[in-house]
Amino acid sequence: MTALMLALLVGLLFACGTYLVLQRGQIKLVLGLGLFTHAINLALFGTGRLTRGAPPLVDGESVKAAGSAAALFARYADPLPQALILTAIVISFGMTAFIVMLIFRRDALTGSDLLPGELAAVVNTADPFAEFTLRMQLPEAADDYDLLQYELDELYDHPEREVENARE
Amino acid sequence: MTPHPTVLILPVALPLLLGAISLLFQSMGPDRRVALQRTLAGLGLFANLAVAGFLLFWVLQSGPQAFQLGLWPAPFGITVYLDTLTALMLVMVGLLSLLIYPFALATIDPERAQLGFFPMMLFLLMGANGAFITGDLFNLYVFYEVLLMASFVLLTLGGTPSQINGGIRYVVLNLMGSMMLLLGAGITYGTLGTLNMAHIAVRMVEAPYTVQALIAGLLLVAFGAKAAAFPAFFWLPSSYHTPHPVVTALFSGVLTKVGVYSLFRVFPLFFPTLLATWQPLLLTVAGLTMVVGVLGAFAQPTIRRLLSFHIISQIGYMLMGLGVALSPSAYGVGFGLALAILFLIHNQLVKTALLLGGGAVELEMGTGKLSELGGLVHSRPLQATLFLVAAFALAGFPPTSGFIGKLGLLEVTFAAGQWPIAAVSVFVSLLTTMSMIRLWQSIFWGKPRLAPPPEVRAPGRTLWTTTPSAILVAISLAIGVAAQPMLALVQTAASQAIDRAGYVRTVNPALTEQERSLPLGIQSQPSERAGG
Amino acid sequence: MTEIYLRLVDRILTPILLLIAIFLFLRGHDLPGGGFIAGLVAAAAIELTILALGSTATRDRYGPWLAPLLGIGLTVAVTAALIGMAGGGFFLGRWIQFEVAGETLKLGTPQLFDLGVMLVVVGMAVTYLLRLSEAAEAATPSAERQEPRP
Repeated sequence: MTALMLALLVGLLFACGTYLVLQRGQIKLVLGLGLFTHAINLALFGTGRLTRGAPPLVDGESVKAAGSAAALFARYADPLPQALILTAIVISFGMTAFIVMLIFRRDALTGSDLLPGELAAVVNTADPFAEFTLRMQLPEAADDYDLLQYELDELYDHPEREVENARE
Repeated sequence: MTPHPTVLILPVALPLLLGAISLLFQSMGPDRRVALQRTLAGLGLFANLAVAGFLLFWVLQSGPQAFQLGLWPAPFGITVYLDTLTALMLVMVGLLSLLIYPFALATIDPERAQLGFFPMMLFLLMGANGAFITGDLFNLYVFYEVLLMASFVLLTLGGTPSQINGGIRYVVLNLMGSMMLLLGAGITYGTLGTLNMAHIAVRMVEAPYTVQALIAGLLLVAFGAKAAAFPAFFWLPSSYHTPHPVVTALFSGVLTKVGVYSLFRVFPLFFPTLLATWQPLLLTVAGLTMVVGVLGAFAQPTIRRLLSFHIISQIGYMLMGLGVALSPSAYGVGFGLALAILFLIHNQLVKTALLLGGGAVELEMGTGKLSELGGLVHSRPLQATLFLVAAFALAGFPPTSGFIGKLGLLEVTFAAGQWPIAAVSVFVSLLTTMSMIRLWQSIFWGKPRLAPPPEVRAPGRTLWTTTPSAILVAISLAIGVAAQPMLALVQTAASQAIDRAGYVRTVNPALTEQERSLPLGIQSQPSERAGG
Repeated sequence: MTEIYLRLVDRILTPILLLIAIFLFLRGHDLPGGGFIAGLVAAAAIELTILALGSTATRDRYGPWLAPLLGIGLTVAVTAALIGMAGGGFFLGRWIQFEVAGETLKLGTPQLFDLGVMLVVVGMAVTYLLRLSEAAEAATPSAERQEPRP
């Protein structure tokens, strides 16, 4: 029963994480990734079998007292998944810290909560003429696969030139 | 002379130690700090290549080696495992990072150097070496994260807006891949009760198909995403053109190749039967990777964006080699894997040479846009020649290493009866040639359109930036002209990589006997760790 | 100015938290605790100072120790691993025992490694928090920001 609940919880966390990651906005992205790591940590926790009140370290005496290895296994808590989870937590802590810093920088640069590409989409849809003007400014070779990304790079890398172009 | 097995840990310990020491000087003045870090990094890269060369020599002399960290016997502690494939990759990554180092010395700006470029290079090397040499699935995950952490910092070093844009995509998509790897490792432990790769190899064959398929699928997705294979390649072209050109060259030689190496290591070892049954899947992924990569490259407006799409396309050839890894051929089983390894090495050499050449052009001209470049052959004949040779090597022309790799792969796929993928790969080679010629033409041919900014034309710098690509191109030509020794080497590597019994025997001979007495983790028993 | 409460809490709680961190670190050898937890608690203590006094004052207080902390921690941890190499393994545990006032004390590479982990965690967490609060302070218009009185 507990195992089923754990599995359901992992699934729920994954579902919520996926929903958040697919939303527009970078804070939701961070939260969604956080939910992913929690889901995976719980899944790792489940791999050690759920036991209650069982010791993780067993000495030779209790092996003899239990009689057989199978009887011992029934009353034994596997400590290894917890070590794995601790490692995973430390790593995800570092990753989250890094992503938060990145997103903070991006937020300071754009003044909005929008992810790469979304900004250009919003810019283009908000102003009916924006798409046209942006396209007009692009060099011919840029008419390709990752147009919005390219626009953004252009816009970011040479903000002063874009302003000049806009004046002309 | 038999060295103490502790040397096996040196590829990890050396960069880690030197990287840690070079972080000690944070409270010093920036100039002295950078000078010290630079010296330490140079020392570390040189020592690392020396160690890697020694390990290759050793493994060729006396066969695969294993070492238990902390001296716990095999399934309980962490194992490191060295065979010819590992040693070859250690040497290649060591060589590439050592050759990139002078380029970095000449071109990296003081600001990036102060932010810690050189220590991060050491940590990247440590992560890659660790991922090559480890014999433990969870440890592999940890080293992947070390590698990724260092690569995140290198990618966003300098913090320009486009770098942050590319960095977010790169971080998020790679994090997803790592999570799949972690989940795969967790499920492996939950079902098989072990994380040691030799022990997994013993137990995986006895596991039911569902378990095998689940773990294999998760690992394929995880490593495929790291290697930028077909469905999960978007992070690569949207991030590789943003950082300093040195970083792009380093990444192309190290990052995706670690993913490919992990596929080469894990699939023949864990899932020898799945390699046959999943062959259509692997070959489809390979074909789509090739086609999408090369078609994407046609539309790119800058040097590095174009080359980063070619990275993806070339990954497809390596996956094709993995797909036919165990197919029978005239040269014995495992010849497909041998060719895939040869192609991997060739690609590391040539791609890094191209990216260094293109990066030098970009740095000297101040732009990487193909529409603004042109006519550089007049002012830089040597660079133009090197770039042309490397471009033809990438396309697979004789007498370069690319010809040998592609010819061999074609032969194996024909022998395996996989006509469609062979046709696709030939077609993609043609497209690669066209794309590379177009690239070379728009950079070097025609009339000079843009005068280079005067401040970057120091003569010493050209020497530092050109020599690395010259050496790389020379090695590629040498492999192409005298292919026999290299072929023998990769055949040894492949035969050791598919030798599952040998792997287990090297790590711990007791693992196979233990299986008789211990219950398998799948059958309702928690794990063997309490009983051992 | 609401920060006065935080500054009072900081003055009382930060030393206690740092002591708890040391306690957790020492306890961690045989009982629950250890370098990672201790590092987090110490980082929490320093974060309290950052919240109460701002990043500049925190940098003044902890001074030049914070910058190389990460490097020191990593070097200590690697040294612990390398000492193990003398015994033929990597990260091999090596202990020395000695008697102090009738109690047997054990000192060994695991503690050294734990110390390294603690320093790395403190160094990394504090660097991250300081950068974040500096960025936040820079983003806030100076009219809204209240400089803590010296």
